[in-house]
Amino acid sequence: MPIKVTLDEVLERRGLSLTQLAQAVDITLANLSILKTGKAKAMRFSTLEAICTVLNCQPGEILSFDPTDERV
Amino acid sequence: MFTRDRLTETAWIVIGLGRVLNWLFLLGVLLLLVLSWLFAESLISFLSNSNPGVDAASEATGLRLEMLIGILAAIATGRLLAALRDVLATARAGDPFVAANAGRLQAMGWALLALQLLDIPASLLGRFVPSLGSAAPNGDISLGGWMAVLLLFVLSRVFAAGAVMRDDLEGTV
Repeated sequence: MPIKVTLDEVLERRGLSLTQLAQAVDITLANLSILKTGKAKAMRFSTLEAICTVLNCQPGEILSFDPTDERV
Repeated sequence: MFTRDRLTETAWIVIGLGRVLNWLFLLGVLLLLVLSWLFAESLISFLSNSNPGVDAASEATGLRLEMLIGILAAIATGRLLAALRDVLATARAGDPFVAANAGRLQAMGWALLALQLLDIPASLLGRFVPSLGSAAPNGDISLGGWMAVLLLFVLSRVFAAGAVMRDDLEGTV
């Protein structure tokens, strides 16, 4: 999929683990893991808002678009 | 929840019983049809003796056609019950909103449509083979049956759309 989730990099910069983020945004670790590994098909605005609020970042910092990657 | 479980379990037993009875009916009619050819003379002689006023040969042909309609109806009923059992199995497993059930509902729609269409030859048989008398099949057009066909095809589409939506929702974070 051309949309890439770059949550790992932002988490590393903030010094947070996925578990800590899951607790902070009140989303299950399993769902965050699906998001982080690029297995999610869609993302709610509410999830994006919660992650951006906690990580103090812009949506563009955790999502990127690579048109050359056509894998489903 | 208990009531729903009991309903599901009862339906499971009823469908299972229905399938067994349908198979027995199919085998019985198939056997009778074969016997009607093997012992054709005995059959005609029996029909002549039991009702001397009617054309026994015509009555025998009518009975064979009636048995053929019965066999086709049993095949359609078997397919309908098998699909219904598979749908119910997914409900028992707690996961009925799957794409496969859309196909099963469509198969049930086709089977029920076949049953409805069999009313036409059944009705014609009663009309054109009067020698069958009270043995003629009841080929009345059932409005409820046609509505059920429509309902099944519509439900099939609803399930297909629902399964896609659920699939999307499952991948949504």
